Amino acid sequence: MYGLQAISASNGWAIAVVGITIVFTGLVLLSFFINQLHKILDIWDNRSDLTAWKENLFRRKVPGPAIISLTGEQKESARQFHMLVKKLDDAFPLPRLLKIAQVSGISLPHSNLAALIGTGIIKRGELGMFTWDEELYRKML
Amino acid sequence: MEHLFIEFFQNTGFYLCDYRHVVMIIVGSIFIYLGIVKHYEPLLLVPIGFGMLVGNIPVFEGLGLGIYEDNSVLHYLYYGVTLGIYPPLIFLGIGAMTDFSTLLARPVLMLLGAAAQAGVFITFLGALALGFAPNEAASIGIIGGADGPTAIFLSAKLAPTLIGPIAVAAYSYMALVPVIQPPIMNLLTTKKERLIRMEEPRIVSKREKILFPIIAFLLCCFLAPAALPLLGMLCFGNLLKEAVVTERLAVAARNAIIDSVTILLGLTVGASTQGNVFLTPQSVGIFALGAFSFCVATACGLLFAKLMNLFLKTKINPLIGAAGVSAVPDSARVVQMVGQKEDPTNFLLMHAMAPNISGVIGSALAAGVLWSFMS
Repeated sequence: MYGLQAISASNGWAIAVVGITIVFTGLVLLSFFINQLHKILDIWDNRSDLTAWKENLFRRKVPGPAIISLTGEQKESARQFHMLVKKLDDAFPLPRLLKIAQVSGISLPHSNLAALIGTGIIKRGELGMFTWDEELYRKML
Repeated sequence: MEHLFIEFFQNTGFYLCDYRHVVMIIVGSIFIYLGIVKHYEPLLLVPIGFGMLVGNIPVFEGLGLGIYEDNSVLHYLYYGVTLGIYPPLIFLGIGAMTDFSTLLARPVLMLLGAAAQAGVFITFLGALALGFAPNEAASIGIIGGADGPTAIFLSAKLAPTLIGPIAVAAYSYMALVPVIQPPIMNLLTTKKERLIRMEEPRIVSKREKILFPIIAFLLCCFLAPAALPLLGMLCFGNLLKEAVVTERLAVAARNAIIDSVTILLGLTVGASTQGNVFLTPQSVGIFALGAFSFCVATACGLLFAKLMNLFLKTKINPLIGAAGVSAVPDSARVVQMVGQKEDPTNFLLMHAMAPNISGVIGSALAAGVLWSFMS
């Protein structure tokens, strides 16, 4: 058998196409990996930089203490809350403080209490209790 | 006494000789001439040429002299060829003497080595069309890889009866690279293209050189496991060279081992070309297809380089595409020679080594692929 008929009978077309494709794929892949090799080695050499970068990235993700300044009305409200807190224990439940505030007639008790928590003057403690940060209070007011 | 003389005369080569022995002795002498006088691949052509002389001394059967007789010394040495032992050892030596720096500096040039392998598969189709069996066609096609050991290895596995003609064709065309390639290079490139200067390659680190043979071996052999004997030894040899701590082994591989094996391979392949086995119409077909394969592979490399130039910002000199046929380092030298004819200050040798070496990897891959398809 000769000619195109012989090629078809031996599955020659498929073998040739698949064969050259495999050879090309092999060398293209090798070329790609080799092209990246020196970059990978550079990263490996500078892996301490990479670690520092990762640490920085991680640090950035941790929210720092919010710096919230209080308005004049909020400062006045803070003073009132301060007086109420003095009557309570060092660690107090927030609902109790809120209730006393409402009874005492402090304006916008929810909002002002949230502002104090936001500034960090009222801090979350253990077992669901809260504490008053005297130092920060004096600093902000 | 007269009877003894007659018997003796009847056993001499003069009596047993026919025209085929004479033809092959002339061919062998031409090989030796080309090797010694013209310096065309002397390390290959001289052993093969002398092997032709050895193989074509007319001897009577049964004395255990001919390479095809079971009990002859030559037959035992020929086992290295028929069992595919010599080619991987030669690849070990090639790996131990090859510097992959230029390839690592610009890996995109590896594609030129891949493109040149198209010649292998086109010739495979041509051989099928001429009536060769698929396994024979695959062995003939690999001549286009211009890699003697690879051609012998694949022939030993797929078509052992054709080892002689295929090996001689492969090595002949490898030796004739300076004659075959330049006309094709001039035909397919313009003067402007031949004048292109390549940019300086970057400096490659030692670690890259050490990692390359490991990565290349794993990647290529996972893709085409049949390329394992050749690529495995090539990469192993290169690792020995680059690792530095194994310098003694590398020196042995690139000197003693490759030299010994080249002698044995050349001599036995030459001796396998006995006139009665070699001078057949089939051998003529193999030689014709081998030449075709070589030319197509060269053209494919050149044309692919031109194609790459359409997309590359920094143009490459398309002449280096011709080095994708592997024939290390002759085809790279031819690129340098042709390039310097246009511009004596343009040095392409170093750049041409990249496709040249990738051609070795490509032809080993192609052999592995063909072997896996045919076995």
